[in-house]
Amino acid sequence: MIAQAARQLAALLAVALVPALVSGVIQLKRTGPAAPRDEVTASEVRAWGDKVQWVDARPRAKFNEAHIPGAVSLNEDEWDRLVPAFLDAWEPEKTIVVYCDGGGCDASHAVAKRLREELKLENVHVLKGGWKEWSPK
Amino acid sequence: MLRLLLLALLCCAPPALAQLQWEKPWQEFHRPPEDDYLETKFNFRNAGTSPVTIKSVKTSCGCTTAHLEKKTFSPGEKGEIVTRFTFGQRTGGHRKLITVTTADGARQELNLVVFIHPALTVSPALVFWKVGQPAEAQMVHLAAEPGTTVRVKSVTSSNPRLSATLKAIKAGEHYALSVKPADTTQRESAELTVETDYPSDAPRAFTIHARIK
Repeated sequence: MIAQAARQLAALLAVALVPALVSGVIQLKRTGPAAPRDEVTASEVRAWGDKVQWVDARPRAKFNEAHIPGAVSLNEDEWDRLVPAFLDAWEPEKTIVVYCDGGGCDASHAVAKRLREELKLENVHVLKGGWKEWSPK
Repeated sequence: MLRLLLLALLCCAPPALAQLQWEKPWQEFHRPPEDDYLETKFNFRNAGTSPVTIKSVKTSCGCTTAHLEKKTFSPGEKGEIVTRFTFGQRTGGHRKLITVTTADGARQELNLVVFIHPALTVSPALVFWKVGQPAEAQMVHLAAEPGTTVRVKSVTSSNPRLSATLKAIKAGEHYALSVKPADTTQRESAELTVETDYPSDAPRAFTIHARIK
């Protein structure tokens, strides 16, 4: 009887496996580009000392609330207005590190991409974990 | 035997999200920036045999909102999540994730992909010289979106020590702008404003940044 139950259990699991595999393949096809390689950790950036230009890609209200010392505000909602001030602060020899809230936010990657593609700036990175990773817990 | 079968059935029971059938969980759009925003619906149906409760709907960007009219859906019932992506001053490709979590903790990601095509592409949008570097002209190319005619009406510099000369490669389609500093002996900055005739009801201006650092 136990053998029969085991066979039935195996059959049920086999039936469940088919839709699971189909779903898995669909999800893999939809995951899009691989994880970006331009991310740097907070400890890496700390080691660079003052050779860093921080860019805060969060909305203006959050920047005004608190930000990493020395950071300039540059977000896509106010891009045209904020770029001149960012460029006034920027120095060619500095490494740019962009951050947003952390977790699932994508603003830092979007801003970093525009700095590279539109302004043709090099040495542009994104802070892994964002503001949550940097700010005191 | 019966217990084993029940246990097996419980193990194989699909999570709530598996019961939600989405019409188009991945949606792509191409839009001009003048549209300002894009609103779209993610339609679904509870294809299971028990009610499904959606606990939360979260988006990956403050620029995107998602609205769900109600939370619990009976078997066979249809629903929709209305999303709105506000462009702000974004251009290029954007992928916004909408994460749907059901009461049993299962998650589904919906994808809203929007390509925002500006009428005129400015490349590069920044020209810069280092102090002491030869004061040679640098070129900026202005190219209209294929199929769109954008005429450049004027280019003005905010700083007379950084001047610009416009040349039409093909009027309405492609222009070349030569930016030249008077000299590079000191730090300077300028914003060059490119006035166009597009769109005719509210013509847009584009900015090129010039710096001597």
